[in-house]
This record gives sequence, C-alpha cells and structure tokens, in this order.
Amino acid sequence: MQKFPLLLLLATGLLFGACTDVIKLDVPNKKNYPVLDAVITDQPGVQKIRFTNSVPYQDDSTAPVITTASMTLLDVTDNNTYPFIYGADGYYSYNPGENIAIGKLGHVYKLHIEYQGEIYEAYDTIKRIPEIDSVTYKYKSKEDNVAGKEGYFARVFITDIKGATDHYWLRAYRNNLQTRNTDAFAIDGAFNEGLADGFPLILPLSESITRDDKPYQIGDTVIVQFSSLTYPTYNFMNQAYNQINNGGLFASVLENVKSNALNVSPSSTQKILGWFSTNSVRYKSVIIQP
Amino acid sequence: MTSTPAYFTAQTDLKKRQEGNSVPTCLTVTTLLTSFPYMTLPAMKTFSNLCALLLSLLLTQTAMAQQRYTLRGYVKDKQNGESLIGISIGVPGTGLGTVTNEYGFYSLTLPAGTHDIQFTYVGYTTFKTTIALKSNQSMDVKLEQSSSQLNEVTITGKQNDKAVNNMSTGLQKLSMAQMKKMPTFMGEVDVLRAIQTLPGVTTVGEGSSGFNVRGGATDENLILLDEAPVYNSSHMLGFFSVFNPDAVKSLNLMKGGFPAEYGGRTSSVLDIRMKDGNNQKMQVNGGIGDIFSRISVEGPIKKDESSFIIAARRSYVDILMKPFLKGDMKDTKLNFYDITGKLNFKLNKNNTLFVSGYIGRDVFGFQKQADLNWGNSTVSIRWNHVFNDRLFLNATTYYSNYDYNISFNNSTSKDANEQSEGYSWKSNIKNYGIKPAFTYYLNTNNTIHFGVNAIYYTFQPGTGIGSSGGTQLATILPDKHAVEAALYVDHEYKIGKKFGLQYGLRLSDFTYLGSGTAYYFRDTTPGIRKPFDHSKDFGKNEKIVTYKYLEPRINVRYNLTDDQALKASYTRTSQFMHQISNTASPTPVDIWTPSSNNIKPQLADQISLGYFYNARNDAFEASAEVFYKKIENQIDYIDNSNLYLNALVEGDLLPSHSRAYGLELYVKKDIGNNTGWISYTLSRSERQTNGISGGDWILNRYDRTHNLSFVGTHEFDKRHSLSVNFTYASGTPATYADARLEYQQWDIPYNTTDQRSNYRLPAYHRLDLSYTLKRPKHRRWEGEWVFSLYNVYARRNTYSIYFQQDPDNAAHREAVRLSIIGSIIPGITYNFKF
Repeated sequence: MQKFPLLLLLATGLLFGACTDVIKLDVPNKKNYPVLDAVITDQPGVQKIRFTNSVPYQDDSTAPVITTASMTLLDVTDNNTYPFIYGADGYYSYNPGENIAIGKLGHVYKLHIEYQGEIYEAYDTIKRIPEIDSVTYKYKSKEDNVAGKEGYFARVFITDIKGATDHYWLRAYRNNLQTRNTDAFAIDGAFNEGLADGFPLILPLSESITRDDKPYQIGDTVIVQFSSLTYPTYNFMNQAYNQINNGGLFASVLENVKSNALNVSPSSTQKILGWFSTNSVRYKSVIIQP
Repeated sequence: MTSTPAYFTAQTDLKKRQEGNSVPTCLTVTTLLTSFPYMTLPAMKTFSNLCALLLSLLLTQTAMAQQRYTLRGYVKDKQNGESLIGISIGVPGTGLGTVTNEYGFYSLTLPAGTHDIQFTYVGYTTFKTTIALKSNQSMDVKLEQSSSQLNEVTITGKQNDKAVNNMSTGLQKLSMAQMKKMPTFMGEVDVLRAIQTLPGVTTVGEGSSGFNVRGGATDENLILLDEAPVYNSSHMLGFFSVFNPDAVKSLNLMKGGFPAEYGGRTSSVLDIRMKDGNNQKMQVNGGIGDIFSRISVEGPIKKDESSFIIAARRSYVDILMKPFLKGDMKDTKLNFYDITGKLNFKLNKNNTLFVSGYIGRDVFGFQKQADLNWGNSTVSIRWNHVFNDRLFLNATTYYSNYDYNISFNNSTSKDANEQSEGYSWKSNIKNYGIKPAFTYYLNTNNTIHFGVNAIYYTFQPGTGIGSSGGTQLATILPDKHAVEAALYVDHEYKIGKKFGLQYGLRLSDFTYLGSGTAYYFRDTTPGIRKPFDHSKDFGKNEKIVTYKYLEPRINVRYNLTDDQALKASYTRTSQFMHQISNTASPTPVDIWTPSSNNIKPQLADQISLGYFYNARNDAFEASAEVFYKKIENQIDYIDNSNLYLNALVEGDLLPSHSRAYGLELYVKKDIGNNTGWISYTLSRSERQTNGISGGDWILNRYDRTHNLSFVGTHEFDKRHSLSVNFTYASGTPATYADARLEYQQWDIPYNTTDQRSNYRLPAYHRLDLSYTLKRPKHRRWEGEWVFSLYNVYARRNTYSIYFQQDPDNAAHREAVRLSIIGSIIPGITYNFKF
C-alpha cells in the first residue's frame, strides 16, 4: 500500500503547501546494542555477515564493526558447518569456492554467535523464487510524472509461483550494489495473502523500482534484486521498512524491531538486535539507453 | 429488525393509558422490556424496580398538586418557520419555566389562573403574552429575529437555556450564527473546526480526521446528524467537515453528564441538527470559495405546514488544477461532494414528520489506474407526536452507511501483449436503527424522558479481489453482525428554586451474532501476536457473545444565587464499536469493528464538578469544570500489527486502561458589538497496556497539557465585522529514536529506552483573521464577501517528526519536521442569499 499514502500526501501538499524541514533535534543516546546483519543466499561464492554496534541516530559515522565475535553457520538439513571468519574488509566471511553455493533451496540454517561470553542463535529457511522475466523502461516528461521530474521509469516483470503463499523482497540499486534505490515487499503478486497467487507482480510493485523524485537517466544501470523470504523474515523486513519510511499524515508510533538471534540462556539480560535471514535471490540489470 | 414490534406495542399501550388520564410511564417501559430481545431477567428486574420507584414518586407529586393546567406548543422563527431549540419560556418573577426541546416543543404546567408568559432567546425579540389558564391549552408561538445586530436582550426573567439554570454539565452549544462569525479555513464555515475552540476538545493537528474530547480517542465520539450516526466526519482527510454549514441549524456537544438517552460512545456526543427548511418563502443560499462552492434551496411545500431544504457542495481543486496537468497526470481526480436534504410535513396539530438524508464522497484518482474513494450516507425519518398536553414522542428510524473502495489496474500503462491486471479492496459498515423517545412533562418541576434504542449492524471488514488475465482471486473476510439495544429512563427534577437533579439509568445490551465466524486465540505473553487456536462458524442470528451494562447517569445542580450555580455529575457509558487505527490520525481506510468474543466493550466512568456564572443582563457567561475519566478496554496494537484484510486481526489487539483528568475554563460573551469566547483546558490523558512500554502508564498520542483558544468578533456596524481566532496548544507526545541499526544499507531507527511517548513535539499555535463585508440588500439579493487569512504569521506547526537517511546522500541521517500547513492560507468567499 506504499503508493497510496504518498499520493494522498502529495495531493494535500499541492493544496495547502505541506512542507518538510530538516531540523536540529537533540535526542541523547541512552544505550547501544550489537546489530546482526546476516543475509545468506543461494548464490555461489563467498557469503558475508556484518556485525556492528548501533550508533546514535543522527551520528553520520559508519557503525563500528564488532571484530571479536565467533560466527558459525549450520546447515541443519545437511548437518554441515561453515565457520565464518572475520576479515580485513570488516565482514565475517566463508568462501566455499567460486562455483559452490552453501545456500540450498528448502534447507534450514542456524547461525550460532558467541560474543562476550553469551551465545545467540537464529534460524531461517531458504524459500523458492521465480526468475525475473525482464526489466523494461520508458521515458516520461515532467508533465507525466507525479513528482515533476523527467527521466526513465523502469518496470520489472516477475510472475509469482503458483500454490502456497510466497513472500518476496524487491530491491533496486542504482549503478552498483552499494547504492540502494528502492525497496518493496510482496505477498505472492500483490500485498495480501490469497489475492494474487500465481499472478504477475501488480503495477504498484512492478513500478516500484523507480523513485518518482529521482527517475533514472541515460547511462544509469538499474539493478533489480529479487529475494524470497520466510514469513518471519518478511515480517521483520516489512516492519523495519515501515520504521524507516514512517513520515506523513498517517505516521504510526515508532516501533522497535525485534531480533531472531536469541540468547540461548533465557535468564541473561544481554541481547543483540538485527536479523539472520536466508534467501534465494535473483538479479537482473539493464542500462538505460536513449 | 426485532425491535419494530416493541415500538408498536409502546404506541398502542400509550394510547390506551391516555384515555384513563393516568401516568403512562413505567408500565409502558416494562411492556417494552418484555418484548425486548436479549434482555435477561435480573436486568429487567432492576429496571422495573427503578421504574416502580419513579412511579410512586410521581404519583405522590401529582396527588399533592392543586388544580393545574398545561400550556404547550411549538416555538418557531417567524421569518422562516424553523423550529427554535432551547427557547426559554417562563413566568417572570416566579422562577417557573421551561425550554423548548430539539423539535421546538414545550410543555409548561401551571396553576389555574392568569399568567404572564414570556418567550426569550438571544437574537430574538422577546414575546410576552398574558393567558388565562382554565384548561389545558395549546399555543404555538412565532418569534421575530431582533433587528438589532447587537443581539441585545432586554428581559428580566429567568433564562432557562443558560448553563446556570439547566441541569447539564459538560454541555457546549453553538448556533450556526456563532459559527458563521468565526474566522474560516479557506473561507469555509466548519462545524468541526468550530468545536475545536471549545474547552476540552483537541485534535492531533491540522488535517487529522476526528477530534478528541476530554482525553478520549477519536472513535469515542458519537456524531449524530439528525440522529443518524456518522462514521467519518471529514472530507479531504480532515481539512473540512462533512456538514454543510447552510444546512445545519445548531449543535450540542456533550462532554460529560450524558443524559440516559445517549449511549454507545464513551467520550462525547456531538448532536448536529439540520435546518427544517423555510416554510414561509423560497430562499436560495450559496457561496463561492476558492476550494469549493455550495448552494442550498429551501422553501415551503405548503406554507406554514411543510417545507424542504436541499444543500449541495462540491470541491473543484481538480478542475482548477486541470489546465496545469498534462500527459499522464491529466486524469488526476481530487474532489469531494456532499448533498444534504430534509423534508418536513406538519400532518396535523399533533403530528409532524421529518425525512432527512445525507450523502457525501471523497474521490482521489490517478491516471485511471488508481482510485480511492470513501463516503458516508445517512437517512433518518422522524415522527413527532404529541399524545396529549404533557406527553411528547419523537420516534426516529435511521440508516447509516460508511464505505470505501480502493482499486488499481494497469489499463493505461500496459503494453499490447500484456495481460490486464486489477486489484481492488472494499469495506463498509451499515447501521439500521430505531429510537422512540418519549418526554413526559409531568409538571413544572418534573420531566421524564424514557425510551428505547435499537441498532442492527452489519460490517463488511474487507473484500480484496485480484485479477490477472482471466483469473480472479478473492479474499473475503466474513461479514460481521451485531445488535445493540438499550432502554433508558431519565428524570429531571427541580427541587425548590435552588436544587436541580437529573438522574437516569440506561440498560445497554450488545450481542455479537451470526451469521459470522468467531476466532479463538491462545494466551501468550502480552505484546506479541496471539496464536490462533480455532474458529467457529455461527448461523444467522445465532448469538456469539452478549454484553450487558447498567449505566447510571446523575447530574446535580445547586444555585448559590440567581446567577451562580454549582453542578456535579457522574456518568457511566459503554461502547461497542471500535475503530482499528494505529496511525496518528485515523485514515479513511481504518475499519470499524464490533465488540466480540476477543474485543471487550469499552466502559467509561466520568465524574465532573463545575461552577457556572451568568453575569447580570447576560453580559457574559463563565464556567469552570474539572473532570476525571477512567476508560477500560481501549484498543491498542502489538508491534507490527496487521490491520488490513486480516481475518485474525483480533489476535493483534491489546486491551488498555486509560485515564484522563483536567480543568476547563470558559468565558463567553454573546451580546454587544464585541462577542466571542475564551477557553482554556489543562489536562492529561494516559494509558497503561500490558505488553507496551513495559506496562507503564504512558501519555496518549493526543494528550495536550495546555490548550487555549480565543475567538472574537467585532462588529463595526451592520455591514462590517472583523473576527480573530487564536489557538495555542502544547505539543503532542512523540516517540523518538536515539539509535540506528545498520542493516542491508538501511538505518533502522531504534528507541533504546523502550518507552513510548518519550518526547513532546513543539507547541502548536496559530492566528486567523477574517473580515466580512456585507453588501447592501438589493431587492431580495443579499451578498457578503468574506476575506480570511489562516495561519497569519505562517508558522510551520509540527505535525510529526521522523528520522530518515537524506534522500540525496544516504550517508547523512536527519530528523525531519512535517508541517501540514506551511504558510499563510488566504481565502475569499462570496456568500449570497435571495
């Protein structure tokens, strides 16, 4: 439903001159927690995990990396163990070899973390994914765009796999994988269960890979990343996404996202934040040409 | 509708009893009771006992009375035939008197003999007459609007409509004339904006639909348009209310001390009455403004006996925008409209029939491929019947509907080889209600109100349909059904000159029934989604769960002097309808849901104390009230709740306790060339929910500590006037993030204190001005220009503050303030009448 509030806000903005200002706001930082950023995919080659400390929100420095944890990934289905070793690039990595993938469809994985005398464990499963059919784009003039910017608007064509409910994460990068551009989440081909099983992604999703206020320009590369998620991971990502886009007339109260990496000792007061997920992922990219 | 027979029983019973000239009160109520659905024996007994008590009290009174006769009739405006509400009718020097009811009816019982009777109301020339009362007598009176612009009242009698003399606490009245004087937003007189200047009423900000009364949530206001409930009271996401000012006669806002007649919401009753329509001559009213235009036509169908009014508005933002929109944007739709109409027929001396209706809709659309629209419609039919000199009946039946639709399709952006796709979603709530309400004017000191309410609800919580090529899939949440019923009796009792007492009892009964599906959940740690256990289907009209409450309502008045009174009240109210919304202000797509096996009804207890002062010659009125309110079972939400198209939504809800308390000060000046009011509220509203913020008490999102309003009008002469409105309110509570988590190139905001409402937004304040220039009357044509400035010093009031990555530089993080209105908003309206 992401497009509708935007449209409405825009409409009211047109009318009454709604405006946003960046303000200086002093929110003292009370505490910080370790944050797990672990996404293991079915792609062959090296897999990486990031483990950092949270930072004060308005602090622009990169989050400090935690170097002293021990990370082990277990393929519960195959009973394989993959030790992830901290490296100079700031990530914990495991390299099975260039053409070998450690992520396998349908397998259950457990991430085992030892940090400051505590043990944390998280589970996830790799779900199925359809292929990306194509990525297209077309030119729109200023008048044709809600946000009044000319440029190229891309669309992605993907058809949901029929049967069972699938959860997906659709992300677009601009030019390289370090520049996130848009995110959207789908249940089958739409936003709700039971409405689009086996359908192509509905329009608001397939068009979501372009930002209205910053359409693509000639020479840009649109990189589409499409990942399958388990239901808990979908919930986490969807909630986190709502927190980072929580403005506007219909903003909701800030919610703290919970982690799936739980302390194995229930009596311990120590916790970590972040999430461990395992995905199937597909990529397709296109270079915008006149 | 099971209650229809009950209503007819009442009618025949009353007729029978009338012949014997006995007191037709409680037996009738008991008769009604027996034919009432879902009433249990103990509840009936309590109610009957109360009736018996009342009856004996009344009979004693009647026996003691000497030879008395009753004067009754209707009071109307001479010029347009509108019935006049709240007119004081009194015998000067005696303190005997009454006021007209919502239909302009009065009944005054006096000792036999000759009496001077006086009819008074602000803005009307006082009507005096002398009658020799030798038998029961009927007298309809027409009052003339005073020619003076200054609303002078030159009377010495007791003003029964004044707060100092009536029983009510927490009651605010506004007439259309008062609302029309206030500065407007974009030139449009607005009922809901007007009530926000009254003490005890706040909103979370500009553009929020709904309002908060005495620390209650927005879904706790019973908004009645000619007695039919209205579920979404605003157009354009909260900028304008759905009530057409040309069709509204008056409003009453009850914030506490609720008479037993009203129920079903815990925080307030906003009772809006529509004009009946001019029964003397045809009249056209209209206005042309920069956002929308309106027109109303009213006139007699048969002079003095029947009349009609029809009023319509449409916004034309999209039409004005059209020349500026090109290409794909050309089909952008952005408008709203509403049509309000009413007919009334005086069938004969004792019977009047009213039919009123409203239909309104907001439409947002984009490129023919996205469409969102929503709206209310209501119909009410009312029958006023005067059984005899003392017994008055208003029987209302009504229908109310609120629905919305959302749809997408790919028709305009699809390639030739692409399949057509669609996605749509709709939801609605429908009510069918019946409400016979009797008023028995026993004598000058005793009035009894009693009656029945019954409402049948159907809900369509959501139907989603997806289509692709030839395939269609649907998620249809099962419809829900419920019956809400109530019996009430209320006694207004004046004890001597100083004491006044209004006490009553309301028996509310709510049944959640089939056909439908009830969902059952297992217990879990509060704050996380309850695991679904099983569901059970129920057949048509099969009972799923029933709730019953006895709700006492008491108001006491003690007059310290003729112009000062102390009042106290205690009321209990229950609520069975809940709006599911976890955003700052409810959105048009937030569904209403009934109490169920999982959602317990809300129950509120409120006490209030007040001091009321009426200055000599009615120069001004002042009041101070304190209140304390406790509400059980307000709804809260688990984190990451799924509120849309979710059959198991009840597993995501949490019950909370809420409390609110405060002080309200109010000074109002109605007459002279400077008029207006000042209101100030000091209050606190908070809640406690197991599973949220560690179960601590936290401030409600709509809490505002200080809230000050000043509304003033200066009339230079008959043609020129200037109005000022100033508002100051403490900022609402907010939850800020003090940390961020880096995850997949996102910065997730995180509040490490785990406490909601840990900050407050900056204070809100705003000044508005408006200047009215009336053109000289030309034949029948009367015109006026209204120039208004909203937010005169262009303050960017904070609606919300949120945190984000700089859209142009992801490595930079910032706090962003959203102001819904960022500058000064001018408005020009031309109003006309002929």
